[in-house]
Amino acid sequence: MSILSILSQKPWTSDQAKIDDKHSGKSSSMPLPRIGLYVLMTVIGVLFTLFSVAYIGRMAYGDWRILPEPPLLWFNSLIIIMSSFAFHKATISSKENNHKRTREYLFLAGALTLGFITGQLFVWRELVSFGYFVSTNPSYAFFYLLTALHILHLLGGLIAWLLVIFKSFTLEDESSNFSLNVNLCAIYWHFLLVVWLVLFAMLLLT
Amino acid sequence: MSESIIPESELEEVELYHPKSWWTEKVFSQDAKLIAIQYGLTAFAIGFVALVLSWFMRIQIAFPEMAIISEGTYYQFITMHGMIMVVYLLTALFLGAFGNYMIPLMVGARDMVFPYLNMISYWTYLIAVLVLFVSFFTPGGPTGAGWTLYPPQAILGGTPGQETGIILMLVSLCIFIVGFTMGGLNYVITILQARTRGMTLMRMPLTIWGIFTATVLALFAFPALFVSAVMMLFDKLLMTSFFMPALVEFGENLTYGGGSPILFQHLFWFFGHPEVYIVALPAFGIVSDLISIHARKNIFGFRMMVWAIVGIGALSFIVWAHHMYVSGMNPYFGFFFATTTLIIAVPTALKVYNWILTLWKGNIHLTIPMLFCLGFIVTFLNGGLTGLFLGNVIVDVPLSDTYFVVAHFHMVMGIAPVLVILGAIYHWYPLITGKMMHDGMGRFHFWVTFVGSYLIYFPMHYLGFIGVPRRYYEMGQTEALYTSSAADLNVFITIAALAVGFAQLVFVFNVFWSAKNGEVAEKNPWKATSLEWRTPEQPPIHGNFGKELPVVYRWAYDYSVPGAEDDFIPQDVPNEKVTLAEGYSELGVEKT
Repeated sequence: MSILSILSQKPWTSDQAKIDDKHSGKSSSMPLPRIGLYVLMTVIGVLFTLFSVAYIGRMAYGDWRILPEPPLLWFNSLIIIMSSFAFHKATISSKENNHKRTREYLFLAGALTLGFITGQLFVWRELVSFGYFVSTNPSYAFFYLLTALHILHLLGGLIAWLLVIFKSFTLEDESSNFSLNVNLCAIYWHFLLVVWLVLFAMLLLT
Repeated sequence: MSESIIPESELEEVELYHPKSWWTEKVFSQDAKLIAIQYGLTAFAIGFVALVLSWFMRIQIAFPEMAIISEGTYYQFITMHGMIMVVYLLTALFLGAFGNYMIPLMVGARDMVFPYLNMISYWTYLIAVLVLFVSFFTPGGPTGAGWTLYPPQAILGGTPGQETGIILMLVSLCIFIVGFTMGGLNYVITILQARTRGMTLMRMPLTIWGIFTATVLALFAFPALFVSAVMMLFDKLLMTSFFMPALVEFGENLTYGGGSPILFQHLFWFFGHPEVYIVALPAFGIVSDLISIHARKNIFGFRMMVWAIVGIGALSFIVWAHHMYVSGMNPYFGFFFATTTLIIAVPTALKVYNWILTLWKGNIHLTIPMLFCLGFIVTFLNGGLTGLFLGNVIVDVPLSDTYFVVAHFHMVMGIAPVLVILGAIYHWYPLITGKMMHDGMGRFHFWVTFVGSYLIYFPMHYLGFIGVPRRYYEMGQTEALYTSSAADLNVFITIAALAVGFAQLVFVFNVFWSAKNGEVAEKNPWKATSLEWRTPEQPPIHGNFGKELPVVYRWAYDYSVPGAEDDFIPQDVPNEKVTLAEGYSELGVEKT
């Protein structure tokens, strides 16, 4: 039901009461953890959007210096795409109840994520070795800040990933919740992939 | 009349968490009601600190020759007073305390949907409060940057607390926001997904509508504060220049350069203005319910009340720059924000009309909650009208940074929401403790608080008009501006403020005294319709409702329904079970 039709209901009339009495009390049939994740991703999305707005706003000033683009960033992007893909495969296997295969993909996804984070840290080292410190120019400051924030969100995701891995070892068969958990991890990783790609595009466009 | 079949509960019962030890039952509790009380007590404790700070400031303003505090301390107290009251007291009380207590009970749920997260939310909030409080005892003391923390001065030498105070403030805000997000997820999803059978969104009481919309606003607005806090921390600790322009300090060039202080202001107020409504919307909701209950009449224009809450919430995101008219912004920009600011007055005024029309020909019981509601309506109206003054660029520019602004925002988002909080506590105290609060002390508390607030803030409007600037430690040799009558007025205001402060001590005493010695409350003492009063036990125990969750058959405002013997019909009573008044064959239908 659309928000407008909900807001135009007249709950005090007896006609509406007949309809309302049958209402289950839920606004959506989605499982709770999934809604929780969507709300969380919305908040994180707002956070990154605001940083991006500040970033774009700051670019307009004359003293903005163009950020060097270490080629390693392209490689890192490829790795995070692969980790997202591995999560996708893990979701598919978990829906087929193939727990062994799911676990393998989960390990692969986690390893790739750690690879991405390490790669980002190498990018930082490279920039520092060229003398691009966080306080040198706002464009570098934004680069460090945004990448750090993105890494923090990945680390948060890795906590969930650890829990899911742990669950995959203790799981009895026929557990539908496990498949949901893997799926939620995958959604979160896809989301962070999109965030990264937007950030990367923004960095390239400076 | 045929007996209608009461539909069986289709909601699958959620497995309730049961504590296993004293610690998990009483301290690290996952029960929303206990978490609410923890939130409430913590917020009141830190709020009391902020209140005491204001006494020191008032004494300093009235009797500058006493020099009770130093200049630096004055700025620190002003900063901490503002930030604590807005974020750590009001936001935490409305959403953390009232949200946690009322949402599950009013929508007919056993608990929040993510109880563990809810518990973590409180403890994170407590850490945020402690980090803030610790800054009083660090070298240099808490930050004195003003509650808006404007850079560049907030992190530069010369501002009190720039050593560690500002860092602790920013860290504390970040922790608060993380904790709030966890709570906010719970409030939103519980309201959307854990309502009992028959409880449609439009059957929810306006209290829940207010808390729901405010939480959504907070989830969108707090990230802006988070962003600005993180970036300022970078500027302070890593010497970046997000907000810091090139500066010369004591003849020396600082390493900063190229940052934009205005960017901070935009981010801060993108949070700051919705924050006003994060505090106001739950107050609007609660006051609507309280007026309806204590005037025994359904709320006038229920749908419009919901629309107004949602509309105000949406509009609150496009008015922020009216706090920045004096920042040198483009006049067209200012024009846009002045227009949106005036537009937001429309749904707000609508709510005021509807409260008054609810009272019109109502069976008004002048109980303590009702007194506070009436006090709220006039106070909010006063504060709102001065908001229209300040929303216009041309009026705001001369009044900016004067006591007129101080009077305006204290009326509209200080006193008004606090009156609602106090009224709500008197109203729901019997539910929470099972006892009634002492009536005499309550009435004394109301009258001193209400009249006293006017004695404090009305004269401040005048001070603002004659140009007395806010945030000044003392006025020095400025007779042309600061006449002796203005000085006398400040003495008067201080005396009123101390009296109002004393009345709050009476309130605190009443809260604790009544919990032990108060008269035992009868079940549903105010004869309200909403579900929180329909629990088998009063106060409700873990799990809220008995074996079965209640089923809802009506909206929350069936007061004085023609044909019903009682002047209220609870939400979980079907038409068939309503005792009819003499001479009626059906609700609303007289026997022929």
